[in-house]
Amino acid sequence: MHKTRSWYLGKASNGVMWLILIAACVLVLIPLAFMFTASAMPARDILRLPYPWIPKGIHWPNYWNGIRGPEGDFIFLRNALNSLIVAGSVAFFTVLLSAVTGYGLAKFKFKGRNLVFMLIMATMMIPFEAIMIPLYMVAMRMGLQDTYAGLILPFLANAFGVFLMRQFLITFPDEILDAARIDGAGEIRIFSSIVLPASGPAVATLAILAFRAQWDSLLWPLLVVQSDEMKTIPLYITRYMAETHSDEGIMMAVAVLASLPMIILFLTLSKYFVSKEGLTSATKG
Amino acid sequence: MRRKRGFSMERKKAIWGWIFVIPSLIFFSAFSFYPIINAFIESFFNRNLLSLRPPRFVGWDNYTYLFRSRDFWLSVQNTAIFTVGTFVPLVAFSLLLAVCIMSISRLRRFFQLSLYAPAVLSSVVAALIWLLIFDPRGLANQGMNALLGTTGVNYKWLSDTNMLRLSRIIVYFWKYIGYFTVLFVSGIGAIPYSLTEAALIDGANRWQLFWRITFPLLKPTTLLVSVMTMIQCLKTFSTQYLFSTAGAPTRPINVITLSIYNTAIKDYRIGRATAMSILLFVVMFLFTWVQLRLSRTEEVTFM
Repeated sequence: MHKTRSWYLGKASNGVMWLILIAACVLVLIPLAFMFTASAMPARDILRLPYPWIPKGIHWPNYWNGIRGPEGDFIFLRNALNSLIVAGSVAFFTVLLSAVTGYGLAKFKFKGRNLVFMLIMATMMIPFEAIMIPLYMVAMRMGLQDTYAGLILPFLANAFGVFLMRQFLITFPDEILDAARIDGAGEIRIFSSIVLPASGPAVATLAILAFRAQWDSLLWPLLVVQSDEMKTIPLYITRYMAETHSDEGIMMAVAVLASLPMIILFLTLSKYFVSKEGLTSATKG
Repeated sequence: MRRKRGFSMERKKAIWGWIFVIPSLIFFSAFSFYPIINAFIESFFNRNLLSLRPPRFVGWDNYTYLFRSRDFWLSVQNTAIFTVGTFVPLVAFSLLLAVCIMSISRLRRFFQLSLYAPAVLSSVVAALIWLLIFDPRGLANQGMNALLGTTGVNYKWLSDTNMLRLSRIIVYFWKYIGYFTVLFVSGIGAIPYSLTEAALIDGANRWQLFWRITFPLLKPTTLLVSVMTMIQCLKTFSTQYLFSTAGAPTRPINVITLSIYNTAIKDYRIGRATAMSILLFVVMFLFTWVQLRLSRTEEVTFM
């Protein structure tokens, strides 16, 4: 790292570079600052000219009403729970399925292995948006409308996840596996107590990616969910956008509440967000 | 005896290999392969979601209908405008910011994380924030008025056709600028310092350094990022959907995915919607294929 430290240090001053960066950061962060400050203001202050920026204390009714919901039935809590259940299950089972498959492809020789790998990789070429309508028909036929299974099952098979786990495990020393076999450990035990615990970084990257993708997902829940009880947070927010007379303060409070889990994850685990694997894969989600 | 045991061991491993792979294959078959094959078939039928009559085979009718439909071409045009209008500035500015970050010696991580921050928010939250910023009394008008020295002018961010197209590009640009900056930073970081050093010893100035060394070596990264952005833009949905839900005119932002969604869910025309999906699939397939080719060449080491 220290080698790249003097990268680009020519004779000219760095002043321009600093100026560009600071300006860019300020511009990028203004909407975020707007979200946080507006969430603490009563609606009449938010659209005042000019925008007051500094809230006079926190206007708690925004948050309270955001959680209470437009009909006062606290449906937000249920919707937030749905989001947690869906994103959490997708993350958990995606990791499990990808790890199992990646392990099978990396460490076992069998006829047709390369074909299987290529078939799985080929699904990366199929964008979700192109198959959403047929997928919706499949889900309807399977009776998955308006169920957790309908929100979760289509996303468990993740080609990038399989790829990531396979690449990660391909360098795993065979000697350890063989030693465990000689000691009489079964294949499932070898996987669960040796291989899986050793895959930490890949598992964390994949889990965060899968969780984020579902937490943000709008299009699929829009198709599958019908009742208010099964809605996820993005769908809860669209309710506020569809109404013309929504209170701006409540809208921003809901935006903050919806973003909190991601912000906390980002602040604590930023290395998994801004890692190269995470970046190249996020576009495939 | 020993030989036989070795054979069975190999067989056993092969069986376990399949056991580990089969669960995934079932899921991929049900939720990837079957739907795409099904989409090809459905696109030749006139299935209606509400109709009880069995779908009728209509050959290429769905496709010829689309090619004659003005609305379809409008959505193609909207997608194209959005894609070009987004990826060109996005790539140019993220490259510029990445070079800036690599040029300074302190706070590199801070700038990367700050620029990346909007990408943490979901697209729904992003649309919600900008909806208020683009309000006639919102920050966008205040900022523009301050910048241009005007007072009380309404720039109609969400009602004028062209401004609306610009607005959704701004939202997208804001959300992903940091993401692509980080990609470029790691691309520049991969350039061996010895090359830079050699150029500096030869007396190259910063301008020459960028155009003669950095940029040529970054070409694979730039190409990869460009194609990735284009793929992302082709399937854009959320902002357009949410802006139109919030009351903005739909026609100027009716992109292909939104059009597929409305055709299937609001008009119940499954056949026509899947035909659109197939066309989108073909275009994105080509882009993805290019991307995979590029990401393979990107791994070529420097010299």
